[in-house]
Amino acid sequence: MSTGEMLDPEDLDERERTALEHLGKRLGDDEFVLAERYTEWQVRSPSLESDLALSNIAQDELGHARLWYDVLDDVGLDEEELVYERDPDTFRHSTLVEQPFPEGDWADAILRSYLYDIAEKLRLEALEQSSYPKIADRVGKIQGEEEYHLEHAQNWLERLADGEDGTGRLQEALDRLFPHALTLFEPTDPDVEEDIVELGLRTATLPELGEEWLSIVLPFLESLDLDVPESGLADADGYAVTGEMLPAVRGRDGSHTESWDDLFADLTHTYRELERDRPTKIMEQP
Amino acid sequence: MDIEEVKERAGPREFSPADDLPEEYRKAATRMIEFHANSEIMGAYLERPFIRQAPSIDRKLAFSAKVQDEIGHGQLLYRAAETLGVKTREEMLDDLANGKGKFLNCFHYPMTEYVETPMVAFFVDGAAMRRQATLRRTSWEPYAHAMDKVCFEEGFHVKHGEDILRTLMNGSRKEQQLTQEAFEEWWPRIIQFFGPTDDKSTHHDFAASVGLKQKSNDELRQAFLDQYVPKARKYGLEIPDYPRIHKNDEGRWVVEEDDLDWDEFFTIAKNEYEPGVGQIDGRKHAQEAVQWVRDTIEADNVPAGGQPPQAAD
Amino acid sequence: MIWEVFRQEENGEYHTHCGNVHAPDREMAKQFAAIQHGRRKPTNSLWVVPKEEVGEIDSDDVTFGGTTDKGYRWTMTYNLQTDQAEEVVESESEQEQADKQRGEA
Repeated sequence: MSTGEMLDPEDLDERERTALEHLGKRLGDDEFVLAERYTEWQVRSPSLESDLALSNIAQDELGHARLWYDVLDDVGLDEEELVYERDPDTFRHSTLVEQPFPEGDWADAILRSYLYDIAEKLRLEALEQSSYPKIADRVGKIQGEEEYHLEHAQNWLERLADGEDGTGRLQEALDRLFPHALTLFEPTDPDVEEDIVELGLRTATLPELGEEWLSIVLPFLESLDLDVPESGLADADGYAVTGEMLPAVRGRDGSHTESWDDLFADLTHTYRELERDRPTKIMEQP
Repeated sequence: MDIEEVKERAGPREFSPADDLPEEYRKAATRMIEFHANSEIMGAYLERPFIRQAPSIDRKLAFSAKVQDEIGHGQLLYRAAETLGVKTREEMLDDLANGKGKFLNCFHYPMTEYVETPMVAFFVDGAAMRRQATLRRTSWEPYAHAMDKVCFEEGFHVKHGEDILRTLMNGSRKEQQLTQEAFEEWWPRIIQFFGPTDDKSTHHDFAASVGLKQKSNDELRQAFLDQYVPKARKYGLEIPDYPRIHKNDEGRWVVEEDDLDWDEFFTIAKNEYEPGVGQIDGRKHAQEAVQWVRDTIEADNVPAGGQPPQAAD
Repeated sequence: MIWEVFRQEENGEYHTHCGNVHAPDREMAKQFAAIQHGRRKPTNSLWVVPKEEVGEIDSDDVTFGGTTDKGYRWTMTYNLQTDQAEEVVESESEQEQADKQRGEA
């Protein structure tokens, strides 16, 4: 387990570099791709006010991706390598965040946000004491914005679940999204994942995070009268993410649903078309 | 108040919802502010694909923030229009969806490539900001207040647009060439932003006489060309040969009106220009797809205090 | 019941919060406010609003403007070194002012 010592960014060995790279990509890719999907709601949200709020959440998440990607500057990775010139099959995000939104399905957006934001809250707590200084330093800034996201999702969920139409749509979204949400707790690579925890980069294991997530998410969703997919989620010992519910592709290991290729092609379109070799920076500091 | 008194009193921020204003004023103000609000929404609709297609994370953030601001401006403006008591926001948004709501000519054209973005984000926004700055002195106080916040935010939009233009014109030869081509395509539309010359404008006289409008189309077009022709040249853009524009002996810009396609302009003004119709319908589709959400939350729309407002009386 | 009072000093300006009054209903609240808050300070108009209808969200609840770098939404970030139209210059100086006040808050 963690020795409690901080890692020295100037003096990382191969194992440490790999662990840091995997962790940074899990974090950054999740935020980046989720933000990308959220922006689909811009000029398409149910009202002008809700449009402004979701746009802001998208920008927050994208800003967090920016912070996590910048950590990987320490292992020599720049924005072009992390996004614009990267092989889409090497992205490490959960399949939850890459799903396109069915048109007008605000229930999907809100539920996805809730499932993700709880997971993010837990994993940020597990990064507060990270052995990597830059990670530990940035957690607070990100947490400062996440609280709003979670309250926003919960407020909307309660209101949507109040109506018949909303409940039906939430249930459909839940059935569709839940297996993908479980991939949030999948390893990028089992050995590297072990290193992430042993090196103290993150202070909780994925099964621990998954269990805690289930223990929060399930009672809340049930309180909204939603049927939570069963399949061995709660046993005598409490909650555990079991393999049988996971989708065929897990995201974390680089395997993705089809929609990811289309999304990636679209978001890199201009960069390729204009034959750019460097993404433009506007802000110098991360 | 009758219309003569309105004309007599007309001055910056003179009239507020507390005033009893004649229908003629309220309708003219509604038409003007609704047009402005609709334009914000349709401008945002035009730019939204480039949130995704922006070539860097920082640019993506800026595009997202800009589109967000525009929706925010729409929110402010529809409220300012609603206070006139002629139409509700819902009615205005429905009219926009159904092709009845009017909006700026430039936002009827499709924008498909990134090199086109500074044509809107720099030149059209630059033109819009010239106009908006004068509207801080409009006679309808809620409109002027909306303009305060719009102008406060808008500087970011124009500079962001200029920054994109600068990057493109300092980029590869291919980028420069594509940008020049986009400029040539958009330039006549940008000139038409200010509408026909004053002698052909239908709504100006009344709007000016009651203080809604502070500057004429001609004055604004002059101010725009003064500022933005040198900018275009500075970045290496060549001003297209047509429409012919030149400075006369008095230093005023002269635009050869006959070089501009006014048939197209008036087709657009009637919401009958084909690509624009597609954009209106596209947004309508999006608006309808989330009708169920509005229905859901409006079903139990009670003020936070738990009692309807009239209980306070 | 308590009514929050907002005063506009001159025609065209903003109504800003200036205090409150106890009153049994809206009519009385307006009359009381006119004396309590409008008798000396320059006043063009007052609004009265039931206190219980006022919702509040403060800096303990949310970090206004976010905690991460949102430089992309500020004019000052775009260092173009060209002459700007006067309304762009004005926008920038208003934003600089707001940014400075945020920093001091």
